[in-house]
Amino acid sequence: MTTPDPRSIAADHGLETEMTTATLLLVEDDARIREALRLALGDEGYDVVEAATGEQALTRLADEPLPDVVLLDLMLPGIDGLEVCARIREQGDLPIIMVTARTAPHEVIAGLEAGADDYVTKPVDAGELGARIRALLRRARAGENDLPSSLQLGDLTVRVTEGRVLRGSTEIPLTKTEFRLLCTLVTARGAVVTREQLLERVWDYGYFGDTRLLDVHIRRLRRKVEPDPGQPTHIVTVRGVGYRAESGAPPAQ
Amino acid sequence: MAWFSLVSLVVAGVLALATWHLSTGYMLDQRERSAIRQAKGNARLVTQVLERGSAGLDELLTGLVAEVESAVLLVDQGDLIVGGNSVDPTRLPTAFLDMVRNGRPAHQRTVLNGIPVQAVGLPLPAKAATYVEVSPMREMDRTFRFLSWLLIGGTLVSGLAGAVLGRWAATHSLRPLRQVTDAAAEAARGDLSVRLPATGDPDLIPLAAAFNDTAERLQQRVARDTRFAGDVSHELRSPLTTMLNAMSVLHRRSAELPAGTRQAVELLNTDLRRFRRMVDDLLEISRGDQDQDYSTFELVDLAGLVQATGPTLPESVLDIEARPWVLADRRRLERVVANLLDNAGRHGGGLVRLGVLTREDRARIEVDDAGPGVPEEAREHIFERFARGSPARREATDSGAGLGLALVTQHVRRHHGHAWVEARPGGGARFVVELPEVTD
Repeated sequence: MTTPDPRSIAADHGLETEMTTATLLLVEDDARIREALRLALGDEGYDVVEAATGEQALTRLADEPLPDVVLLDLMLPGIDGLEVCARIREQGDLPIIMVTARTAPHEVIAGLEAGADDYVTKPVDAGELGARIRALLRRARAGENDLPSSLQLGDLTVRVTEGRVLRGSTEIPLTKTEFRLLCTLVTARGAVVTREQLLERVWDYGYFGDTRLLDVHIRRLRRKVEPDPGQPTHIVTVRGVGYRAESGAPPAQ
Repeated sequence: MAWFSLVSLVVAGVLALATWHLSTGYMLDQRERSAIRQAKGNARLVTQVLERGSAGLDELLTGLVAEVESAVLLVDQGDLIVGGNSVDPTRLPTAFLDMVRNGRPAHQRTVLNGIPVQAVGLPLPAKAATYVEVSPMREMDRTFRFLSWLLIGGTLVSGLAGAVLGRWAATHSLRPLRQVTDAAAEAARGDLSVRLPATGDPDLIPLAAAFNDTAERLQQRVARDTRFAGDVSHELRSPLTTMLNAMSVLHRRSAELPAGTRQAVELLNTDLRRFRRMVDDLLEISRGDQDQDYSTFELVDLAGLVQATGPTLPESVLDIEARPWVLADRRRLERVVANLLDNAGRHGGGLVRLGVLTREDRARIEVDDAGPGVPEEAREHIFERFARGSPARREATDSGAGLGLALVTQHVRRHHGHAWVEARPGGGARFVVELPEVTD
């Protein structure tokens, strides 16, 4: 049986057509998994570029055009996934989904701290990956239509349509997920946003969203936007419920 | 406890009876001897007076009465001379009097005018007379009454003390044994981490040591087995990922396949998904067994979590009676609720009610289904690993991996809670998860 051309399958079945075909960089050292994922993701309508090692991935990322999403296995020979993740983050906000065989809390957290936007654990199929990718791309192509173009949070200016955050005139570099998280909180205008709502609005998760994903992103966001991340005044925890955006006049506690 | 008090009551009663018999017997005996001795002495005096002629006899008798505080009777050739005030010696039993008159000394205890007395009769053969002395035993009677009260009281007190002691023994001295019983029951419920605390009771030290040793070995063995299952599942991840993705290509194109092949692909697809769920659950179970990380525990609004877990449920099914706070690992608790909902849908004929409530400082989740309920004898069994419904129901295309409820038990135990199933009033099963409520 010859390998079917993924694009022709996609065309045959009239799959939900994205405006442009998204390109994925699949970094995976196991050839069989890489092959199967390439087939299945291709079947879902994506352009899949493969890399077997961290070095190959970084080489590929040095060239334009960049992929839309990176699927990154954490266990790689040579430069490991965490390192690759951190290097990609140094370059910019390219969306990263880590694909991991590890579920120990600290390993997942390490990956998220290194800058991943989301994570899935093996075994994973193309359907689930597709859902995560779509959520990320939706995020990446931000710009809700019914939002004001700019919002103020204390000394922060959130340019919603541009996807930028400024403190005074200095831009704060946020990943697209961090930006979306901030936007979701700011547009609630001081109301509490529950963890469930955040997981759903930012990551498209139903009830199986992992709190660690949210926790790490809140931590990352605070490091970037809070004057003192240890004493957050912009993104305030509402114990047991969720988070709330505040203008940042430090409350006398 | 009842036995304890009964036994001590019987023992005390027997002792009291024996005491009564011995002491009253001894005292009566002494009293009798002294009465006889006294009567003999007095009889001699009376004989001497009679030998000298009857002058001074009245005087002597009055004197004797005053001295011994007793009535004295002298029968001399048909004459009756009575001295004394408190008792009437003529009312003595005739058999006794006849015996003395016939020349034989006699003594008898009897009651005269309501007063217990000791009567001693001595024939005076020289004078063909009879001397009878009757001494009342008021003192002795009082003593006996006092003694009887003392013994009855003592017996009752001892019975009561026995009851108290029994109670104390049951609650205090048997406490270590009850600990053993509780620990064994806890282990039987599946918590192999129970250990008995060090005890100072030399009788219990070997028992506690043996119990702890057994529990330790069992726990290690279970941990080894689980680790093995976890390792195997971990190794299965890679081939499973390959299979799942290859299958998703095949499945998408199944419409193009010939009917027979399509059926085969469907079969394969269904079981591959079940296989995958099993591996996921096994990994989760083996992880939970080893995971000592409690840093993910936080304050959680239980009702909010339950509502978020079943967002598509109709309003009529949700029954939020209270909004308790619990200390929980959100992900695990969501998994608990999801598995119970899944179970209700898969085995219970559909969800009827999803309740959140509090009962005595415990927060509760109740999941009611419309199924046939769980028979009493299977209620513990279904929470075990790889326990599944009846063989008939196992025939169904997808009956789950059989780990869902085991995961519920494991996760709930991690939250220091309990999970069980009971009959729902009105039919069907009610799965209950109880967690410690956090109150400020």
